[in-house]
Amino acid sequence: MGDSAVLATLDGGDVVALARRAQALARSLDGLRRDDDRWGLAVPGAASVLVPFDPLALDPADAARAVARIGRQPVVDSSPGDRRVHDVPVRYGGESGPDLDAVAAAVGLTPADVVDLHASVAYEVLFLGFQPGFGYLGELPAQLVLPRRETPRPRVPAGSVAIADRFTAIYPLPSPGGWHLIGQTEVALFDAAREEPVLLRAGDSVRFVPLGDR
Amino acid sequence: MSGPVAIEVLEVVDGGVEATIQDAGRPNAARLGVPPGGACDPMGLAIANVLVGNACDRPALEVFLGGTALRALVELTLGVGGGDLGLVRGTGERVEPGEAISVTAGDALRFTGGPDARAYLAVPGGFVGERVLGSVSTLVAAGFGGHGGRVLAGGDRLAAPVPALLPEPLPWPTTGGPSRRHEVRILRGPHARPAGGSLEALTGGAWRVASADRMALRLDGPPIDTGTVELPSHGVTFGTIQLPADGRPIVLLADHQTTGGYPVIAVAISADRSVLAQLRPGDDVTFRPVSLADAVAALRALREALAAGERAVREAAAWDDLWRSAQG
Repeated sequence: MGDSAVLATLDGGDVVALARRAQALARSLDGLRRDDDRWGLAVPGAASVLVPFDPLALDPADAARAVARIGRQPVVDSSPGDRRVHDVPVRYGGESGPDLDAVAAAVGLTPADVVDLHASVAYEVLFLGFQPGFGYLGELPAQLVLPRRETPRPRVPAGSVAIADRFTAIYPLPSPGGWHLIGQTEVALFDAAREEPVLLRAGDSVRFVPLGDR
Repeated sequence: MSGPVAIEVLEVVDGGVEATIQDAGRPNAARLGVPPGGACDPMGLAIANVLVGNACDRPALEVFLGGTALRALVELTLGVGGGDLGLVRGTGERVEPGEAISVTAGDALRFTGGPDARAYLAVPGGFVGERVLGSVSTLVAAGFGGHGGRVLAGGDRLAAPVPALLPEPLPWPTTGGPSRRHEVRILRGPHARPAGGSLEALTGGAWRVASADRMALRLDGPPIDTGTVELPSHGVTFGTIQLPADGRPIVLLADHQTTGGYPVIAVAISADRSVLAQLRPGDDVTFRPVSLADAVAALRALREALAAGERAVREAAAWDDLWRSAQG
């Protein structure tokens, strides 16, 4: 991936398995980096890890080989030490979830059933990307899987709870967005003033808690 | 914010198109979904900073296109780096990138517009700003960093901890050589179709910059078909060239989203980030494939030029020992 990064892609496995392997590979690379400052901090994705390095200190071909070698090593259970659990209160539907009714119609369930199904799963934070603090949560129950909206919205409010493909997520900040908005939460996924601005970490668990009447 | 006393040094008279405080960014924040950010033209930032005795990565003002106007509030030396944005003093005298100038209270500076896109203005000690995740760089999309997480506007005042008037500031030694302003050297990307097609279409002719901001350049030209629509989200870098569904390439810059799912057909070489940073909307650009060895050699040459320039300025400048030791 250019002259200063290696992109290691993984295959074989479902959405959750691939993301976990990517996280594990990133953690192995963190070990490499501890003793060798020619490496930058690896960025895990859905099924890959981007590994930055200094091309003036490390030959790019050697870098690619080193990453491949580490990728071939058996994955020891190196799950992160402190997985946190986040209970996220959500106001589903109505103005808070403008796409809830359309999603229900598209999947052949009542809106109430969509809410119950969405809230029934403890999701894993698979990786962060797209926006500061945006966690891709998985895996969404199969009945709720839909492609992204044909036309993205120019502006999705911060705190929007959304679904698309096999993921669900909460938008930390207002931005354009193509996911289906089914609810709204006041939990701040990103706050620059906090000592740790980003709330979620890969491996954390998220449960959505429906608030009040739909 | 506790810390050293800061002195207001510049007042913004007109924010122009987009002026923000930027330093060298957040290279290790991508795992949080936070872009690396920082100056789009890292050489421009470095030169402006070295000219006023700073380390290369101190917070400076990044100015995008013309229109930004400032007034000095105190006696001060300023370093100018990056591209030619038609910077003039109140007297009408032009200030070229690579110059250090001294101003007194009330002096005016205006970026009137020029052939390039981004310029950097540095002050001794660097500008003071909101520090988030180890950097003062502004991420406007998320509203944090720099001056209140936003672009500068008329009435804003910029502060520095140690404003100084430097005796006999010296210009950056010019290296000469032809300008390759509108040619970007690239390497094949991980998703370029091996049997030809997308890379050849990218390098076969000129593209027009349809729009530019700190996140990306969006190019216009004959749409390229990759045959793939989307891939699992993966980490991307400054200089990544993506192909969205409409076939018109997107070139990522400093505030790029940390992950993307569009096919990556090419990646600009690191040494040409400054070239990307200087492209304006409406400019034409061509892409030329080079080898990995060429890419590394170009980066090495750039770093050596920066180091040589830095040595020349620091050795020749007759600055106070007090000032030097204040840099820490």
